[in-house]
Amino acid sequence: MKNFEYVLPGSLEEASKAAADGGAKLKAAGVDLLDEMKNTVATPDKVVNLLSVGGMREIVRTKDGWRVGALVTLAQLADSRLPAAITAAAGEAATPQIRNVATVGGNLCQRPRCWYYRNRAYACLRKGGTVCYALEGENRYHAIFHNDACAIVHPSNVAPALLALGATVVTNRRSIPIEEFFVLPSDHVDRENVLEDGEIVTEVQVAQSRWSSAYREERERDSFDWATVSAAVALRMDGAVVKDARVVLGAVAPVPLRSKEGERVLIGQRLTEKIAQAAGEAAFKGATPLSDNAYKRLVGPANLKRAILSAGL
Amino acid sequence: MNERTHRAGKVVGTSFRRIDGRAKVTGLTKFADDLALPRMLACKLVRSTEAHANIKRVDVSRAMRKKGVVAIITGKDLPIPFGILPVSQDEHALALDKVRYVGDPVVAIAAVDEDVAFEAMDLVRIEYEPLQPIFSVEDALKHPTPQIHDYAEEGNLHRKVSLEFGDMEAGWREAEHTREDLIFYEGNTHLPMEQHAALAQFDPDGKLTLWSSTQTPHYVHRALAKVLELPASHIRVIATPNGGGFGGKSDVFNHEIAVAKLAMITGRPVKIALTREEVFYAHRGRHPALMWVKTGVKKDGSITAMHFRSWLDGGGYGSYGVASTYYSGALQTVTYHVPRYKFEGARAFTNKAPCGPKRGHGTPQPRTALEIHLDKIAEDLGLDPVQMRRKMLVPADSLTANYLRVGSMGLGACIDKVEEGSGWRAKFRKLPFGRGVGFACGSYLSGAGLPIYWNNMPQSGVQLKLDRSGGVCCFCGSTEIGQGSDSVLAAIVAEVLGIDPFDIRVVTADTDLTPVDLGSYSSRVTLMTGNAAIQAAERARDLLTQAVAEKLLVSPVRLEFADRRVFDVEEPSKGVSFAEAVQLAEAKFGTIGTVGSYTPPASAGRYRGSGVGPSPAYSYTACVAEVEVEADTGIVKVPKIWIAHDIGRAINPTLVVGQVEGSVYMALGEALMEEQAYRTKVGGAHKMPSMLEYKSPTTREMCEVVTYLVEDPDPNGPFGAKEVGQGPLLPVMPAIANAVYDAVRARVDQIPITPDLVLKAMRAGRAGPMRVPEVRWPEPIRVPTPWEGGDGRAKP
Amino acid sequence: MRKRKTQVALRVNGEDVEVAFVPHKTLLEVLREDLGLTGTKHGCELGECGTCAVLVDGKPVLSCLALALDMEGREITTVEGLAQNGRLHPLQEAFADLGAAQCGYCTPGFLCTSKALLERNADPAREEIEEALAGNLCRCTGYLKILEAVELAAARMRQEKTRGR
Repeated sequence: MKNFEYVLPGSLEEASKAAADGGAKLKAAGVDLLDEMKNTVATPDKVVNLLSVGGMREIVRTKDGWRVGALVTLAQLADSRLPAAITAAAGEAATPQIRNVATVGGNLCQRPRCWYYRNRAYACLRKGGTVCYALEGENRYHAIFHNDACAIVHPSNVAPALLALGATVVTNRRSIPIEEFFVLPSDHVDRENVLEDGEIVTEVQVAQSRWSSAYREERERDSFDWATVSAAVALRMDGAVVKDARVVLGAVAPVPLRSKEGERVLIGQRLTEKIAQAAGEAAFKGATPLSDNAYKRLVGPANLKRAILSAGL
Repeated sequence: MNERTHRAGKVVGTSFRRIDGRAKVTGLTKFADDLALPRMLACKLVRSTEAHANIKRVDVSRAMRKKGVVAIITGKDLPIPFGILPVSQDEHALALDKVRYVGDPVVAIAAVDEDVAFEAMDLVRIEYEPLQPIFSVEDALKHPTPQIHDYAEEGNLHRKVSLEFGDMEAGWREAEHTREDLIFYEGNTHLPMEQHAALAQFDPDGKLTLWSSTQTPHYVHRALAKVLELPASHIRVIATPNGGGFGGKSDVFNHEIAVAKLAMITGRPVKIALTREEVFYAHRGRHPALMWVKTGVKKDGSITAMHFRSWLDGGGYGSYGVASTYYSGALQTVTYHVPRYKFEGARAFTNKAPCGPKRGHGTPQPRTALEIHLDKIAEDLGLDPVQMRRKMLVPADSLTANYLRVGSMGLGACIDKVEEGSGWRAKFRKLPFGRGVGFACGSYLSGAGLPIYWNNMPQSGVQLKLDRSGGVCCFCGSTEIGQGSDSVLAAIVAEVLGIDPFDIRVVTADTDLTPVDLGSYSSRVTLMTGNAAIQAAERARDLLTQAVAEKLLVSPVRLEFADRRVFDVEEPSKGVSFAEAVQLAEAKFGTIGTVGSYTPPASAGRYRGSGVGPSPAYSYTACVAEVEVEADTGIVKVPKIWIAHDIGRAINPTLVVGQVEGSVYMALGEALMEEQAYRTKVGGAHKMPSMLEYKSPTTREMCEVVTYLVEDPDPNGPFGAKEVGQGPLLPVMPAIANAVYDAVRARVDQIPITPDLVLKAMRAGRAGPMRVPEVRWPEPIRVPTPWEGGDGRAKP
Repeated sequence: MRKRKTQVALRVNGEDVEVAFVPHKTLLEVLREDLGLTGTKHGCELGECGTCAVLVDGKPVLSCLALALDMEGREITTVEGLAQNGRLHPLQEAFADLGAAQCGYCTPGFLCTSKALLERNADPAREEIEEALAGNLCRCTGYLKILEAVELAAARMRQEKTRGR
């Protein structure tokens, strides 16, 4: 790992100021950042340690929901009383040791796992190069939606759950509905979210609702792994009838992907296995798989179907 | 016959705690990277970023000027080639004029610490002239030039083999049914938890010491002497306890030679610890293998002839590859009677990390192909696959068509155990759709009959030192890689001398202190060092017996060694303590030291290629796997495996079961997820040089395992013991593949069985390879079988 | 780049130590290289194997992905700190008895992680043990002996507690 200056800010303002410097990186637990630095994909001159800023470590119950501090760990979130989709997604991430330190803010801001991006030998589009190697190369774990420019998938599995529940990301500068937090490569290929230099996620707000939710993912092994496909579903049920639905797909696009197609099939219908299946198929109908990842197109509907049924029952 | 074969013991057969157990649970075991010496330098290797290229220029001047860099060497500093097999001395510690895979080491840097060495790597400039990269056997055939190695047998085919045993035409004529199958087994890697590390020190008196996480210190010793041009007697190699080996540390590695050379140049100790990424480049793992098999059978399944072909993707260097190629055809004959057998194998050089031996060396792929193939034959014939196999087992004490001598053979008993334990009859073809059971068998060597380099010396030696305190020290070149070899040595010596394993100090794997043992590979240690240890211990016991008999005035034949005493069996109160016995012997004979050694029996085959396959004893395994297949996702889960292993005799049942369970685990990973694959579309870099991307099973994937040990003592084994480290892996992959078919009636003729392949097979009936590369096979070496009156020699 | 070492007070296995190191050093490196506690092993140094797990304030974390500078004021326990007064921890005894350590390289990480589990759950079900240890890879044992050893240690610890009462 390249040596760096370690900045221990005493306040958010100090942190923000230090982070606005071009060669600086913000660090919470550092799980993802240290990985990038050891692989020399990231070589910051300065690392700004958010852990030295007080606070942001609690989940606060408010009148109408929860405020989740950005430094709350995934283990804390998994053990919390937040909606089921969120706790399930947090509880399935990475491994127990990593969940003990990895933070909610870090999870939302982690960089993609694309193996071309993570290998410094490949100067890919996302690292300032001109080519997305995944498009012509090996792309088994890559995007099947919005994959024309750069085929990363967003690695966060908490994000789809937060999106399904309409969360808000709060920074030191503004509140951002989570639907507007992530950006597509066609808009910005060098980053995955709208955060500006020096902008720091401070908390995530989740409203309490009567929606029932579920998160489900398929992966090649039950630990240590990112999802092959994931789905977060929130349903507003009236008896057995779906009054409203939010369907979000994970691990299939450069952003957590809301599927209006899937939602349209569900809304107003009695929730049955058949309708869940139809929603699953509708959600993946527009997929444009690459050479090696057509499997996602097959397993995605099955996974979504199960998530829908689990949310509705 | 070994006199101890059938004797039950006080130590042998009991589950005593391994002698290094306490050190391992307290973190005190010193692995190679745990060692540090004063003034030690850190070494890093600059590796090729090109898959296949000529090196035009290497400029280390800027790196050399960096503060803290002490020495830098390139290929020119180590021009002498080496290789594990005498027939493929094709490696250089640092690439000389060309690189052959992404990760091939080019430059070695020694610096005051790892950070400086790491930063200096970026200052090295290497200019390459890229060459046509070869990424598969097909590529190798399509592009005979440029040759990856100019010594290849033909173009980029490293080696071709063709052997024919018996009158094949007669076999096909006799057949009532024939079947052909094509199966592909992807390469995978050992993934030991410990990354390879080595520390070298060069003394002012000109002696070199290398500590390394190696399974084969003796071969490293030989290679160092050759490449460094030092007298072998001035080199000491100490194998530190390996943090897992599985075959991945049984080759001679670039980094071992590089740190030795740097230590010689700088006069300071130099250490290297490979990163996990580099461990994937070091590789030497399972060859990707495409296999075609054609078998003729009678209506009851009995085989009339078998023709097996394998195409191996060898990677950039020879490594053990020639042996691997032969192994892919050698052991098909030791489980079921194959009266006529033909084998053709080819290994290609490709621009990928070199393949070599991984647990089961060269045999898991053909075993998988064979057992899937037999499952299909059983279905063709309407036979139960268990019954069919049971009827065609190779008899004990027999010779196979390719002249392998089978001794004890407990496969029948293994089959009975798993058939009954798993409830096979109630499950096979009877479980609901999506659930299934599958069956397969396997067999493996208990040590290769021949050493890697030709010599007529013992393959294993043990030295014992007994002193007047009653202390026994056991010296042996064998290497503890986690399998428990130190504990086996202690148990055997303790058993013979009637003392406790914890009374014994075991000093192993140090070429200065211990007699040669060839290393921890080919499942040879328990059998070979075990026999050597018995011999050394019995010689010591004889000395003690004589001295004690004289003292007690009893006949030597009446003396028994047990419970740390030497006593009269007919009057047990009459005796001396073990320490007194040693004192008596020391007084009578002088200092007590004995030696034992072991050389395997001569093999029966005398044709070219007959050196691969013979073993003093074969272990046998039978396995039933139960699977659940999700029809809409293709995901395969394995809830339970029943496995029976013919161990001959379990020296320590806990260690034996540990090897069985570990084999099942590793097989599960191979069967379902593990792949050493490459980004061949862009650059040829390893696809997954990380433990995240290289998927291996976690606690959540591991299945329940029911283990049965079948103890059918083998006359060649110490106390009857045979191997267990590798054999139990073999039947697991095909048992799972066959169970997937039972669950969804779709064949996946490819390993690993990934969900996408399962879905593909469910749509098309089969998923797997469709065609074979066209190789011009050489004229076979024709060997008449024993039942044709053959004597093991080829026809002129 | 000029390296500036920082002097930091750490508490490791119940003892206070002061050690100076450059900011990018991980806890793993400081433990092994500066404090000589080589019982903590490394398998990937990227958070991909669990081998380097140690306890920080009683919770298992990966020392390879923790900057040592962040550890000031935290209670760190490594495998060297499990035995007390020369007596092995019941987990250590059970791992040795059942052959749960083969090559022994992943063992320190498993021991630390298991200790945290048994401290919050004295009688874990097999599935809970599997989940707690899902972040530790072992290539030798197939995990089964490890799971059994944790169960055995838990049983022995419960027994000891009952007897102590």
